[in-house]
Amino acid sequence: MLDTLIAGLLRGNVYALGAVGISLVFGVMNVVNFAQFSFFGLGAMLAWFFIVRLGMSFWLALPLVLVVCAALGLVINLAVVRPLARFLPLAAMLSTYAVSQILDNASQLAFGAQFRVFPAVLPTTNLRIGAMRFGTSDLVMLGITAAVMIGMTLFLKYGKLGRGIRATAQDAEAALQVGIPVARVQHVSFVVASALGGLAGVFFSIYIGVVNPTSGLNIGMTAFVAATLGGLGSLVGAVIGGFLLGTLEAFGIYLFGDTARQIIVFVVLLLVLIIRPGGLLGRVPLLSTEPLTGTFLGKGRPFRIPRWGWIAGAVVIAVLVPIFGNRYVLTTGTQVLVYAIIAAGFTVTAGQAGVVALGQAGPIAIGAYASAVLTLVVHLPFWVALPLSGLVAAIVASVLASPIWGVRGHYISIATLGLGVAIVAVIQLVYPNGVYGIPVPSIGGIALNTPLAYYLIDVVVLILTLVVTGRIRRSHLGRVISAVGSDEVAALAAGVRVRDYKALAFAISAFFAGVGGSLLAHQYTYIDTSIFTMLMSLLVVTIVILGGVSLPYGAVVGSIVLIGAMELLRFTPELRIIVYGLVLILVVRFRPGGVLVRNA
Amino acid sequence: MIRPARIAPIAALAITVTAALAGCSLAGDGGTPSDAASDGSTVYFGVSSATTGDYAEYGKQFKEAFDLAVEEVNADGGIDGHPVALKYEDSQSDPKQSVTVAQKFVDDPQVILAFGDYSSSASIPASPIYTAGKLVQYGYNNSNPDFTAKGSEYQWSTAITTDANYTWTADYIKDQGVDSVGVAYLNTSDWGIPAYNAFKAEADKIGLTITDAEGVDATSDDYRPSLTKAVAGDPDAFVEIGYGPDASKIVTQLRAIGYDGTFYGGQDEESFNTNPDAEGSIIGSEFVADSTDPAVQAFVSAFTKKYPDETGVTLFEAGAYDALHVAVEAAKVGGITRAGILEGFQKLKDVPSLVYGTITFDPTTRRVASPKLTPTILTDGKWAEYQG
Repeated sequence: MLDTLIAGLLRGNVYALGAVGISLVFGVMNVVNFAQFSFFGLGAMLAWFFIVRLGMSFWLALPLVLVVCAALGLVINLAVVRPLARFLPLAAMLSTYAVSQILDNASQLAFGAQFRVFPAVLPTTNLRIGAMRFGTSDLVMLGITAAVMIGMTLFLKYGKLGRGIRATAQDAEAALQVGIPVARVQHVSFVVASALGGLAGVFFSIYIGVVNPTSGLNIGMTAFVAATLGGLGSLVGAVIGGFLLGTLEAFGIYLFGDTARQIIVFVVLLLVLIIRPGGLLGRVPLLSTEPLTGTFLGKGRPFRIPRWGWIAGAVVIAVLVPIFGNRYVLTTGTQVLVYAIIAAGFTVTAGQAGVVALGQAGPIAIGAYASAVLTLVVHLPFWVALPLSGLVAAIVASVLASPIWGVRGHYISIATLGLGVAIVAVIQLVYPNGVYGIPVPSIGGIALNTPLAYYLIDVVVLILTLVVTGRIRRSHLGRVISAVGSDEVAALAAGVRVRDYKALAFAISAFFAGVGGSLLAHQYTYIDTSIFTMLMSLLVVTIVILGGVSLPYGAVVGSIVLIGAMELLRFTPELRIIVYGLVLILVVRFRPGGVLVRNA
Repeated sequence: MIRPARIAPIAALAITVTAALAGCSLAGDGGTPSDAASDGSTVYFGVSSATTGDYAEYGKQFKEAFDLAVEEVNADGGIDGHPVALKYEDSQSDPKQSVTVAQKFVDDPQVILAFGDYSSSASIPASPIYTAGKLVQYGYNNSNPDFTAKGSEYQWSTAITTDANYTWTADYIKDQGVDSVGVAYLNTSDWGIPAYNAFKAEADKIGLTITDAEGVDATSDDYRPSLTKAVAGDPDAFVEIGYGPDASKIVTQLRAIGYDGTFYGGQDEESFNTNPDAEGSIIGSEFVADSTDPAVQAFVSAFTKKYPDETGVTLFEAGAYDALHVAVEAAKVGGITRAGILEGFQKLKDVPSLVYGTITFDPTTRRVASPKLTPTILTDGKWAEYQG
């Protein structure tokens, strides 16, 4: 018991340090900063490089790591985040995702992809309580967390800039009006957060013992959950959240096993958010509009696509590509189309209802597994299983998501992210083995398993998806959902049951996600849970944001650009992801509302 | 208001991507099949692997060994006078990309065989495409038995199956006089769970007690709570079924919670070998770099000469090196066409191998009879044969 408690406090310490940086940026800029996660891995790799390759002492390497991370943080904020964060937090979030891709891959090119043994700069096992050993490193880390906390608290309370940070976090516009240099405040916050990210990365590596450039993502994610748990924007909350999550995780793993870890993390998060929608110490957002979308829905207007545009698009996708495209183009096309279907359905949630749900891999996985079971066990034909699996995804995902619709603001994004991860983790518990031999679509005994057949099936489903989502947008129902997304308070005042409509929008999106999952399953003929990753969820969100968050047809363009570009960049295999990230940043920079949305 | 001019750039972007994709691949079709048959023309094999992403580390190891083997084969006259070359495509071991890579290879008439992918969750979704294209998919690293068992006549593999590997491991541990073990296994459908099931089946059969088995998540970093539970029954030894980096974390944390029994696990990887806590770990290996076998010695010295920066030569390199030679031999036997190389695989006999000594496929399972595993122990950061 004592052992588990100590293990929990040790890991909680790492989360706490990471969570403080995340909460800080969140407070002043209102941006989900994915780049922050990369700083964990980058800080760790830099420290490894300085100490092992350059032979520096730890106490020289540590400040150097902080300086490099801080400088990089400033550059990123200047070049990418700040120009977008003021009007379009959603676009800023997308850019930080691109930045994190670039950072991870640059780090991989510079340091190599392999895991490295992190030097034992501080003893990690020289002390013990009971059977549990711990080390000077843990005490130093604990001390640094405490020092950072005390320092930050004093700075925020008495420092001029610190008070500026607090004011900006409360109301950036008001802060600007009373003469607080908001730009500088944001730069400082970003720099401090980046340095803290690097610091947490270093200590995390000492604690874990091995490190590679992408090892920051998961610890970053958990630290982010810890920050949310404590209440975004609250530094004390971040620390409490970190320790609480670490301890609960440790006991949960002891009771249910590591396979249940992600479920435990997100169940804890969901429970806390249901009871306290603003996190433990956070304020419940007063304005209930979704800060990521609600405020900017009106800012950009979609380009009106003339009739010839629709016809030309349809002809290219449904006629020219099938006739002139070879099988490689068609196979790439099937991936593009399936993601377009999933993303087009997702616009109902993300665009209309204004809920940027981050866990679409969950309903996709439900659809894929439902379809596999329906065809393999119940022996239904693919054509029946396809819509049914959408239905199953919609029902299951809605039931699971039902408690979270009272949660608001960014919290709902994190909650849905958690939901997606937890769904996949539960499926893994139910189906520990992969599912093989999922039947291919067929008509009258003729297998439709050529790239052309898959492509055409996907085209038909996509057209149906666009017709349905288009009809929904124009219907009374669609307008009510849009009203919820545009101004929740007004909708509520007009008697709209906001929660129910958000849930309905999510169900509609989950239906199309499930259909997409089914299409993937029958094309791959094999599925296992490692296919439905968080990156899959992020890809869906990225596609939607790129195309224009409320435009179903924008999802098609987003999908062509994002999945097609990955294929086009094959000429430069090593730099593929970096170039991809740069392209993404440029697109977002010049078309922040989406490529099909006119700039405000 | 209709403003077509404003839409033009966006429409152009989408169309350019589509058209460029079409263009690229149409260009790829330029090579005519007759090229392959003409005298002295180059024979191409495709390699679908991870150049970027989480598995890039392994992709690099494979590439180095493949390139070395190709150099040697070509210096030796290639395949009956035809030089060999590889076409690499990055899949990130992501099924979304491995299927398009598969189609790319299938559509490229120059490619007569494809290696890969790295992980089974990327290889198996690509299998139907290779089968439809009648292109041999050589999963040289696919230890999941279902890659071939549930695949078609076009899926072949020389990787030792998880079944064979962990059945051996259970037997060996029992032979060492160990009666009870705690286990941590990687909780993945395509590798860890089948491997653990094989271990458990054999352990039950021979009376090796598993005091507790904990599935661990590859994305976790702190395994202490799981490990505390896994060793609560005070087992004689500990077995880890997973990869090198995870094993490295687990062995360190196992020692940190005060468990001192023998650690059976880990892999020949830098992340594990240089970890001081890993000293004394024991695994069964198909490849020992300091073996006295002259073929192994020749390979290791050639490899370290070509890649002086690499600190170790592991099973990953040896397996890829073997695989390239197997493919070349198959082409020599059956001919440098897709149908020919398939026939070659069916007929191959006694191809010299670093890992197996010689390789002969069982044409029904499309696998090799299990190689001899050598118990190895990690001492001073190096694996050496263990005579325990």
